[in-house]
Amino acid sequence: MTIQYLTKEYADESIFEVLDSLIVKWFKQKFKTFAPPQKYSVISIHKKENTLISAPTGSGKTLSAFLSIISELVSLSKQGKLEDKTYCVYISPLRALSRDIEVNLKNPLEEIEKLAGKDLGIRVAVRTGDTTTSERQKMLVKPPHILITTPESLGIVLVAPKFKKLLTDVQWVIIDEVHALAPNKRGVHLSVSLERLQNVSGPFTRIGLSATVAPLEEVAKFLVGFQNGSPRDCKIVDVQLIKEFDLKVLCPVPSIINATQEELHNSLYKLLDDLIQEHKTTLIFTNTRSATERVVHHLKTKYPKKYLENIGAHHSSLSREHRLDLENKLRKGELKVVVCSTSLELGIDIGYIDLVILLGSPKSTARALQRCGRSGHKLHDKIKGRFIVLDRDDLVECAVMLKNAYENKIDNIDIPQNCLDVIVQHIYGLAIENKQHAETALDLIRRSYCYKDLSWEQFESVLKYLAGEYVSLEQRSVYAKIWYDPVTKMLGRRSKIARVIYSTNIGTIPEESYLEVKFGEERIGMLDEGFLERLKKGDIFVLGGKTYRFNFARGMTVQVTPMPHTLPTVPSWFSEMLPLNFDVAIEIQKFRRKLEELFKEKRSKAEIVKFIHEYLYVDENSANSIYEYFREQFLFAEIPNDKKLVVEFYKGFGEKKFIIFHSLYGRRVNDALSRAIAYEISRISRNKNVAIALTDNGFYLTSESQKMQVLRAFQSLKPEHLRELLKRAIDQTEILKRRFRHCAMRSLMILRSYKGHRKSVGRQQMGAQILLSSVKRISDKFPILEEARREVLEDLMDIKRTEKVLSEIKSGKIKIHVIATEIPSPFALNLIARGYLDILKMEDKLEFVRRMHKAILKQIEPYEIAA
Amino acid sequence: MKLLPEVEALDLGIYLQKENTFIISDLHLGYEKELHMRGILVPPFQFNEIKARLERIFQEYPTFKYIVINGDLKHEFGRISNQEWDEILELIDILSIHCEKIIVIKGNHDIILDRITNKRNVQFEKIGFSPSKNIFITHGHIIPKKDKRLSDAKTIIIGNEHPAVSLTDGIITEKYKCFLKGSWKRKNLIVQPSFCLVTEGTDILREEVISEFLEDLNLKNFEVFVVAAPDEIKYFGKIKNLEKPQK
Repeated sequence: MTIQYLTKEYADESIFEVLDSLIVKWFKQKFKTFAPPQKYSVISIHKKENTLISAPTGSGKTLSAFLSIISELVSLSKQGKLEDKTYCVYISPLRALSRDIEVNLKNPLEEIEKLAGKDLGIRVAVRTGDTTTSERQKMLVKPPHILITTPESLGIVLVAPKFKKLLTDVQWVIIDEVHALAPNKRGVHLSVSLERLQNVSGPFTRIGLSATVAPLEEVAKFLVGFQNGSPRDCKIVDVQLIKEFDLKVLCPVPSIINATQEELHNSLYKLLDDLIQEHKTTLIFTNTRSATERVVHHLKTKYPKKYLENIGAHHSSLSREHRLDLENKLRKGELKVVVCSTSLELGIDIGYIDLVILLGSPKSTARALQRCGRSGHKLHDKIKGRFIVLDRDDLVECAVMLKNAYENKIDNIDIPQNCLDVIVQHIYGLAIENKQHAETALDLIRRSYCYKDLSWEQFESVLKYLAGEYVSLEQRSVYAKIWYDPVTKMLGRRSKIARVIYSTNIGTIPEESYLEVKFGEERIGMLDEGFLERLKKGDIFVLGGKTYRFNFARGMTVQVTPMPHTLPTVPSWFSEMLPLNFDVAIEIQKFRRKLEELFKEKRSKAEIVKFIHEYLYVDENSANSIYEYFREQFLFAEIPNDKKLVVEFYKGFGEKKFIIFHSLYGRRVNDALSRAIAYEISRISRNKNVAIALTDNGFYLTSESQKMQVLRAFQSLKPEHLRELLKRAIDQTEILKRRFRHCAMRSLMILRSYKGHRKSVGRQQMGAQILLSSVKRISDKFPILEEARREVLEDLMDIKRTEKVLSEIKSGKIKIHVIATEIPSPFALNLIARGYLDILKMEDKLEFVRRMHKAILKQIEPYEIAA
Repeated sequence: MKLLPEVEALDLGIYLQKENTFIISDLHLGYEKELHMRGILVPPFQFNEIKARLERIFQEYPTFKYIVINGDLKHEFGRISNQEWDEILELIDILSIHCEKIIVIKGNHDIILDRITNKRNVQFEKIGFSPSKNIFITHGHIIPKKDKRLSDAKTIIIGNEHPAVSLTDGIITEKYKCFLKGSWKRKNLIVQPSFCLVTEGTDILREEVISEFLEDLNLKNFEVFVVAAPDEIKYFGKIKNLEKPQK
């Protein structure tokens, strides 16, 4: 009984009883009553219980966390017992949020002081990457009672000897936006930092603030960590659906399939304009940077009189100044509409927004709610969101998400486990702090939820890497960051500049820079700088689903020529789009099954449309479009569903075969599944190179040669061998190279900042390839290489659920139906048109050159030396 | 693989039968150190692999008259560390066992390698070297126009370019080190691949050439010899044959 939901709302009076009288007075002046999360959590936090608060934005979460804490600090101050040390650490993943929180704390404190009629001396300070040295010095003299910081800065503070002394008696730690931290390596990093902080300060109360997220119990365990192998106690406050929803799926035209591209385009902007004009301030999410720019551009050119100074774009590759300026304008209400990629999903107060438009599927219910929740930022405001869909798959997908949102079915997130690159930074940090026993360090790391199952062998492989044991003795001085004695199991830091290297290089967010791609003056999209390094003049590559020829790059611009219907010469694994959440995918498959049943029962159109209308909460138009889409598929082929995987053999132009899997499991599963099959094909047949294209809804395999033996390959896949097989299948891929570079940076094999200089990303990309090949020479089990593989298989792909799907196929829970078509079935159309292409290379370099040699011999004269 | 009747491609080097001479170029020892300066901590692996690859050759050809290092023995950038000196000296010692004299030709990247030029069996050449009248070996970054050995020779051997070629079947592209053979002012011109094992080199199909010898030439008719493996060199026809994917 350690993780427990709080089900009892406390009455206002009982909450007032535990608060300082001054706070009570202040509160009564400001508010009528406690907000829902406060009714549960204030007393829990007052009792020093770890508490996870999950509630929508604007529901009074932040004050829930701070009320008890401020009250206690005020009491201490009144009694003259307030000491010069940090009582509370507040951690937010967003730097921008730090300043907001500072203001939101300082204002009430001033008001409370006014009420008290005297200075209470409670200090609040921000320490982030932007904090100047003199500001930091000030904090050492007058320590902040409440320290506001980021996960990265906390990591740095832990090795700063003077600053650390302020943290020897921390009482509370608040972690904001837990839902955004838990699923990635920033969260993993933080989870260990918290344990390190606990070693410095002794136990403290942990308070997590989260938007709607699932599974809450796991997120709670992530927040509080483990002690002696079992999770620490935690109370969960789950306050959902206190706001009213007004969510709709809209389609710009009456029938998507009959509209031309131009009609669709014009109607889309007409619809956007109408919606924007009907509301005071609109926020649009587009998922990608390039789409953000495109929408702003088209709104401006189509309606030049309406959108000029009052429209803005916000995405992560814009300058910080630009973004801050835009956020300020938003808060001041100077903007009519803001278009962003994903960047305004989190936290910061963006003022009054009365409409959120989602252009393109948000791919998960939790994200849909989070985005829509940016409207009506005040308690009891109505949340108003519009999903605009441009194709029939999007329509079904968004409609199912809408249903989930209304029915409060939140999809699950995954929390990464045993990331070997992130602990490199922590072990290095621990070694800098103190000489210590390896078991002690491992015990600390295992207190984190993300490492509870870390084995000694995994841990020691990282120690050995850090101690430079993978290089020769003479070279060790360059590579070893710590010393480690396997006999005594003691470890410690090795060089005096360790602290500098640690402080300037820790962090887990991979650095990328982007170049603009243009055809003449026309903007096409953005391209990764690292990818550019690999492009040669004349190469054909894929961007946004289309093929282009690379001409040249100048400055930050890349010039290309569109090359439709040409096979790419370089596989691009670089568009890492948001993948569809697995739980939503399964919901869509269930919906497919229900519709198939209705068609099989020969129900009338009216009946089926009525069912769709009620089941999915969509309007008549959308229900009609969905009906038509499914009817076509039903009549033409077969409707795949959660219990039936349809495999479609389609023979295209020039006898080219496509084997299409209607596996609607989301891209993460499809990625793993398609590669596993392609790998198996190359193993059992002589066919070495198979092209793969995949989307969230399925994938297809195709090959130049005639025989692929796809079904045999598919049937020979065994869930228990999947991991080993995929490890081999990804070995030559671009994505492994790219993820290896990220892991190499996190594990300090590639230093962003070294000898006083910052290094450019592009040049590091080149070096990373050499690094990867040298690491492979050292050992195939090199821990950082293993981590890159784990990241690809578990975080990028979803090997766990792929295994599950395979098991269900083996057990007969999912049946396979094979069909043959002469034109692709309706459900396959988008897949064929939009699928993103990669090639599984299974030939080694020597085999390849021999094959190429045979080919060239057919065209050239045999070689003879002129005597 | 014979490139000319008396000029043979031997792994990444060139063997001159009549002159009993072995030529290697562009080893770029210490390349890893440059990566370190960029913050990329690559464990050094090059040197051991170079040694292993040379040993393979020496098993077949234990003694040469000359071993020629045709420029860029050391990668540029800064002071040479003791570690790197050790490597350079060790390499020279190994080569010494297998030849009467080592000729080191200056490349564009070489700083003065005084410690080796002092060695008794090392001869340092600023411009180039002719093991016989017919052949002139020079690094190739500039054309030594006034050198009589150049005008007298029938065959010129250069390095500097790090030639490599990308082969593609339209889907997969892989890059390989290669030799190039063509003509320059009615002489034979042979460009040898680099003995640097960190990178393949410059893709002749897609990148600009850097050697002054190649600058104004039309390379389309140059012949390509791909080093598929140390003991597997394959003739791939002319550069113009390789511009289209091979199916």
